Amino acid sequence: MKSTIKTKTLVLAVIASLVTLTMTGSAANAIGTLKQDALTGTSATVDTAATDAAIRKLVNGRTIKLGFAPPILSEAYTIAQQGAWNQMKDYETRYGVKWVWTEEAPLNNAHSGVETTGFIQNYVAKKYDAVFVCSAAPAAVMQQLYKQGSAKGVEFYQFNSTEQLNQKSQATDATAGLSSVSNISYDNRWQSGALAAQYIAKELKGKGEIIMILGPAGSDWTKLREQGFRAVIKKFPGLKIVGAADGGYVRDKGLTAAADLLTKYPKINAIYGENEDMALGASAAIDAARLKHWDGKSGIITIGADGLVSGMDEIRKGNLTATVNVGYADMGRTMIRTMFAHKVLGMDVAKFIRVPTVIVDKSNVDIFQSQIKAELATKVKY
Amino acid sequence: MANQRFNISMKKFLSDPILGVIILLLLVGGVASFTVEVFFTLQNFTNFLSGSYFVMLLAMGMTVVLISGGIDLSIGAVMALCAGIVAKLALQGMSVPLVIVCALAVGAFVGCLNGLLVTVVGLPDFIATLAMSAFATGILFIWTKGTPIVGYMDETYKQIGGLAPIYREVTVPMVIAIVVAFALGAMLKKTKFGVHLFSVGSNRLATRQSGINVTNIRILAYVISGVCAALSGIIMAGRNTTVPPDLGGGYEVLAIAAALIGGASLMGGRGRILGAILGEVVLAMTINIINLLGVPSSYQKIFIGGILLLAVLVNQLVISSRTKILMRSTNKK
Repeated sequence: MKSTIKTKTLVLAVIASLVTLTMTGSAANAIGTLKQDALTGTSATVDTAATDAAIRKLVNGRTIKLGFAPPILSEAYTIAQQGAWNQMKDYETRYGVKWVWTEEAPLNNAHSGVETTGFIQNYVAKKYDAVFVCSAAPAAVMQQLYKQGSAKGVEFYQFNSTEQLNQKSQATDATAGLSSVSNISYDNRWQSGALAAQYIAKELKGKGEIIMILGPAGSDWTKLREQGFRAVIKKFPGLKIVGAADGGYVRDKGLTAAADLLTKYPKINAIYGENEDMALGASAAIDAARLKHWDGKSGIITIGADGLVSGMDEIRKGNLTATVNVGYADMGRTMIRTMFAHKVLGMDVAKFIRVPTVIVDKSNVDIFQSQIKAELATKVKY
Repeated sequence: MANQRFNISMKKFLSDPILGVIILLLLVGGVASFTVEVFFTLQNFTNFLSGSYFVMLLAMGMTVVLISGGIDLSIGAVMALCAGIVAKLALQGMSVPLVIVCALAVGAFVGCLNGLLVTVVGLPDFIATLAMSAFATGILFIWTKGTPIVGYMDETYKQIGGLAPIYREVTVPMVIAIVVAFALGAMLKKTKFGVHLFSVGSNRLATRQSGINVTNIRILAYVISGVCAALSGIIMAGRNTTVPPDLGGGYEVLAIAAALIGGASLMGGRGRILGAILGEVVLAMTINIINLLGVPSSYQKIFIGGILLLAVLVNQLVISSRTKILMRSTNKK
């Protein structure tokens, strides 16, 4: 009996230290956490058999019902979902947990969030165990829904969200005023917009003219990325943002907006598209205006943000100079690890988990594209 | 005699609903040429027109449906679905003409389904076409598994999308838009079908009582709209260089706005193909000016809303003046 308690204590201590390590980000390596497990560390160096058996016993073949509510179905959320599915499969194999996964996404107007509120209510009514949400609906509305749902036993986890825009400080309130258990994302300001600006500044050696193709007005993602981008550009007196236009987060509108601005500013040095689609639209506008893409010395730099397979193909071809890979696959895996740690193992998890982001250009595209392709190639489906 | 003919022509022109959009175009263009440095250049005109041909096609199809007294909310989704068909079939190595025929057939088929749902099943056009929109979008999502279709682009599709000209500034989308405009314009003005279409939109019951097959005419209107959406999708596949699953959202609203600015009526029985084209030019020009002026994007919607409101008001003024002219000439007789 004593030895059982001892073993359990030891297992939980190991788990706690490793989860803490991962959640603080120090365990996250540069290529994400594909080979890493939040619960047991890298299996190549640690014998996980005892831990696995203990967790398997705790799980006892339980079925966990998960809801997934992205703001729209797109390549980015497909990658996040696949990352989550792969992590679920890992846990299914190791711990015998069974999963039910239901995806509900609006087919139109990702930036209203109206439909998502209905999905949340459905998940609560159907007594799901946990729901992963990314929505453009007003934060207050979503938090109220989470609060009501939590009272009925449903846990909510935000992902790829913009809670940094209106979160309260954790200095006085441990929950930071949020009813979601955890918020798994990246900081849109400093891990996306600012990185793009730093890349442009480095490549142009702090001197040049830039145009910005922004997301739709009123979008929280737009506001934050622009804030981070402008904050860095401000530090370089030789860099100037000469124009900005709305590209609606879609390629065609990005193309039109960039084409208009290139008519007025044909001598610009860089285009910042707040997402990859708009940046690729801008790239097509450069071709249409018979201007030159960046070759490392001259031409126009085009940089976006997302980290999609399609975008990285264009980096290889030289149509896109670089992108900020915001780690959608990693985000998906982290969602499951965090939920499992909290819901199943009863552990306290960080309120804000930031996945690593990275600038991807021709120099490192092989690493990150192969990582995403590997996640998508598993064919695991729930 | 010549003076009288001139007067008649002038009266006819002044009472034409297209006058409203022409006034608007001159107003917006005139203001922009004084305030925006590069506005009045060939490059700028080529730029904003090249981004508007596919919306023009949607607006032309929408105008035909609006004239018949209906509305087609599925065109954005049908455009996306047809773009997906083009991309997928092109990837499988199918020849370009065959790919185009397949996309057009799907557009016509969806249009026909819309028409049948509205006329035979008796669903309100708003509901039927909205449901079809969700259906087409859903098919594209399932088909693409949520990831964009890529890797089908070659020089031919670059030309189809207008990214590469066929001669100087002449592009394939430009040629398609002109051909469709002439064909639909002639159909509305010179054919029996065109006359019947206006008649159905103005007074469906009276048209039916006069022995015209109203059902067939309404179905055909939706088929035309579906084919226009398919053409738009074919261009979009080339222009966008990828087909993401969420392509096409919101384009139906732009098409309706362009058609209404061009003098079409939501009540049916009114509309012009030239009006739809000019309506889209006004919209594209407005966005172009906003971008060139560096107006924050949050104002874009206000400007477009304002333009739409202004266009409808000008149209109302033209219509009321036309009514006055007609009444005066009737009294004289």
